[in-house]
Amino acid sequence: MEVNFSQEWESVERELLQTANMEATVQTNAELAAHPFLSEMSPHHLEVLATAASPKQFAKGEIIFRAGKPANGFYLIEKGAVAIEGSVFEHGAISTDCIHAGEPLGWSWLFPPYLWHYDARAVEPTTALFFDGEILRELCKDDLTLGHELFRRMSQVMVRRLQASRARLIEALK
Amino acid sequence: MDESREKFEKEVAAHPFLLGMNEQHVRLLADCAMHSHFHTHDIIFREGEPANRFYLIVRGKVRLESSTLGESVPIDEIHDGDLLGWSWLFPPYAWHFTARALEETDAIFFYGTILREYCERDHSLGFELFKRMSAVMLRRLQAARQKLMTARQIGNR
Repeated sequence: MEVNFSQEWESVERELLQTANMEATVQTNAELAAHPFLSEMSPHHLEVLATAASPKQFAKGEIIFRAGKPANGFYLIEKGAVAIEGSVFEHGAISTDCIHAGEPLGWSWLFPPYLWHYDARAVEPTTALFFDGEILRELCKDDLTLGHELFRRMSQVMVRRLQASRARLIEALK
Repeated sequence: MDESREKFEKEVAAHPFLLGMNEQHVRLLADCAMHSHFHTHDIIFREGEPANRFYLIVRGKVRLESSTLGESVPIDEIHDGDLLGWSWLFPPYAWHFTARALEETDAIFFYGTILREYCERDHSLGFELFKRMSAVMLRRLQAARQKLMTARQIGNR
């Protein structure tokens, strides 16, 4: 009897855990669908992407990643703002860019050497979704349409930032 | 297949930007491509004009310039083996900068409007191309940020 009871308890526990996981997944799915970077992604692809996603929070001033450390994924910023900082010579950190809510953060996970090129620092309390790069790479390999969609969107942001950086460079050279 | 066509496909496949592309993708790419040549000082495309194409530079040197300040300011240089132009990819499909040949330049021209359709129909081609382009974009983004930081540092002194 005792054995049965403990088995039953285990199955209740398992069910509770599953429900909690499902709720967390539903929550993540809704967050994904609401993020501008993923707008008009198919529900199927959002579901697939959710399997690589986890919510993160950063306090104001907190370092999100550091130059030279392994780049293992990217972030979609939901709330807050993040400064991209680099250093020139020995003069210390200089901010090159600010990533705002609704934007993706981090490309170094995409290409060798898979190391962050800059520091990223939350300049406001920031909430984000983190996507595991290793899982994403596998998902894109299995589903080329997903890969196409993701890289198209990322390319678009990169071009926009490249143009913005060049515009600022022109300003700085004035 | 006619001999010149076969030779051209080989040339397309041998460009560093496309190394390792599969045969079927190379064929699709060659389908909307042709040779082009620019003399020193030739304008390849002009800021603000419709962007419907891109180039893979085979030999030569190209300067990107901005004229937002009235006079032309050099932004970047594109060399042998590199890709030139992505404004054809995204709205508003207009060149962001002017590109000028600094030397006699051989390039492969790609008709972007057709290629965009090919990518929409064949996502494995789209995935492959965007992956390669984003690697170039990232390299240039990092270079631009480095220049910006250096300029600001010098400005702060």
